[in-house]
Amino acid sequence: MPRSDAQVLVELPAGARHSAVETRDLARSRLDVALPLSQFYISRARATGDLRFLGYAEAILNPWQSRVPLLPEVLVLHATILQSRHAFAPALTELDRALRVQPEDAQAWLTRATVLRVLGRYDEALESCRHLAVSADAAITALCSESLRSLTGHLQSAYATVAALGQQTLPPEARAWRYSELGEMAERLGNDAEAERWLKAGLQLAPEDFYLRAACADLLLRHGRAGETLQLLAGYESVEPMLLRSVIAHKLLRDGSSEQAQARLAAAFELEQLRGDAVHRREQARFFLDVEPQPSAALAAAQENWRVQREPDDILILLRAARAAHQSQAGEPARRFLQQQSLEDARLGAATL
Amino acid sequence: MTRCLRFMALLLLASVAPAHIASNGFLVARVEGSTISGSIELAVRDVELAIGVDANRDGKVTWGELRASEPRLVHYLEQHVYLSAESRSCPLQFQALRVNERVDGTYAWLPFSADCGMDVRQLSIRYSALDDIDPSHRGLLTLTAGSVVQTAVLGGLDGAAIFSLYAPARWGAFVEYLRAGIWHIWSGIDHLLFLLSLLLPAVLLRRGDRWEPVPRPWPAFMGILKVVTAFTLAHSMTLSLAALDIVRLPSRLTESVIAASIIVAALNNIFPLVTNSRARIAFAFGLLHGFGFASVLADMGLPSGARLLSLLAFNLGIETGQLAVVLTVMPVVYALRSTVFYRRALLPWGSAAVASIALVWFVQRALLPSG
Repeated sequence: MPRSDAQVLVELPAGARHSAVETRDLARSRLDVALPLSQFYISRARATGDLRFLGYAEAILNPWQSRVPLLPEVLVLHATILQSRHAFAPALTELDRALRVQPEDAQAWLTRATVLRVLGRYDEALESCRHLAVSADAAITALCSESLRSLTGHLQSAYATVAALGQQTLPPEARAWRYSELGEMAERLGNDAEAERWLKAGLQLAPEDFYLRAACADLLLRHGRAGETLQLLAGYESVEPMLLRSVIAHKLLRDGSSEQAQARLAAAFELEQLRGDAVHRREQARFFLDVEPQPSAALAAAQENWRVQREPDDILILLRAARAAHQSQAGEPARRFLQQQSLEDARLGAATL
Repeated sequence: MTRCLRFMALLLLASVAPAHIASNGFLVARVEGSTISGSIELAVRDVELAIGVDANRDGKVTWGELRASEPRLVHYLEQHVYLSAESRSCPLQFQALRVNERVDGTYAWLPFSADCGMDVRQLSIRYSALDDIDPSHRGLLTLTAGSVVQTAVLGGLDGAAIFSLYAPARWGAFVEYLRAGIWHIWSGIDHLLFLLSLLLPAVLLRRGDRWEPVPRPWPAFMGILKVVTAFTLAHSMTLSLAALDIVRLPSRLTESVIAASIIVAALNNIFPLVTNSRARIAFAFGLLHGFGFASVLADMGLPSGARLLSLLAFNLGIETGQLAVVLTVMPVVYALRSTVFYRRALLPWGSAAVASIALVWFVQRALLPSG
């Protein structure tokens, strides 16, 4: 129990105050309030890594979702929320509804390409990128399709093309994206030094980009550079995927200072499983591989993750988990996928095969 | 074009999901008879969003601010957590507000009790906390009834969640009554002695005034089967009638007649009157033994809502115990049937011993003052 009335129980993050209730009420009747407000919440989710904000955004969009005629902006935002929760199939449904109303909605095509890419449906994703050409910038279209080509047997040439794509030709918001694509491609090519440079350049531009930070931490951890990983993640430990990487770094350093964090992660994964969410299965598998070695639990999580998504990191985790559990055949779906797509990834040789 | 790009970085989050646990409330409920006790926990952050706690709007919620909001929080929970037992509402009575530390922050913790005014067999819970603010908020329920613990995720699009407390509890009762039945046949030696008295001669044939061993196992087996079946049928009938309160006999009468039945069955082995249709004796007296079983059941009581099932379980228990005895004793008896010892000593003198024990019981039960 708190010792005094003055004791602070919680500090409220910006955007999570009750005082917004009037604006929220207004958003029920006014689309010009609802759209920016839900966008604000989504950007808060992005900046803080806090899933609650996605819920707030969803609540704002709720009354608008089934409006007739359909509101494509609302549907695309809803799809964005859904895909952030890894509900990919419903996200695609929303995007297709939006595109029926507004066939040249660049944001919808781009989101669609992203979702299909995460699902490993590269041909369809590429098709979505092509639709961008009509309404979006040529550099954006190129980034969209080249990053997909890099996954389907054209890694080297795609890397060269994106690297040659002048940063100035891209709108500012897309520059960090280019760096993250370059970083990933370099990693898959086995050129970790260049990869690190790209990822760090991206972080300079967008320090709040958790995707870039996690990718950078993973690269450092692969080289056993635990101290630098901790530096990179300092101050971001409240976000579970960052915390996971920080705990792995502590494990590498054997400094025994991560027990509390470990318990927090375990509890978070447990709650998520209880809720039936599948958002962090990949992280959970990683936890059972690198933090609390439980190979069969790791394999179960990696397999469940594989049912939901197929990014290069998902291949990596499934193969690693299968090997750790001495069940080589469990990695078969990932190997088959690699072959079908002619996906190249230098990390696979070292880590799994 | 700008809108197109505003979410670019967000799209990439697909692989590293925004972290932080989603919003959860924790609901614990323990059902005991007609009352429910438990607690509700909501993150202080969520309480702020729901009712506004940060009175001085400094972005920090203090214990004092939370405490000052307690009546409004109670009111909010009354509106958003609704318990009912078969359409009878179970109004929540909240106790003093406390806090609980969880991995993702501090939670407001309100213990409660609720009275449903009737035995709770089916509990319905409607949970709608934060549904208009964060549709991804869920209530994680731990529901305990007896020794059975159920968990569930409440909220979202689901309306009320309904929990049957009997489905799992029934199984527990079933096992309990099955065990009671087996135990009763083992400890209730009078039923066994009666049955054995009828079974001992099943491996013999009466020729004139002499006993002869049955030549083959088959007739012996059929004899045993008939006796056991007749006894079972009879006592199952009366057990059910008595347990369901359809027929009632004073226990002193049934207990005395049971003792008498043993005397009759045992004496019949020494001075055989009925030799070919012991099954009829088994049936006739079995009716009374059924009332005897029922008195045990009356002591235990049948759980309301699972009366028939528990009765069946108890009966099955009796048959199981009985069958175990028959299967153990009869092969031995069959093996000994040709020996002089069996026909001249065990059968007559054993039966005489049984008859005298039963006589003592009879005197105790029928003639001595009860108490």
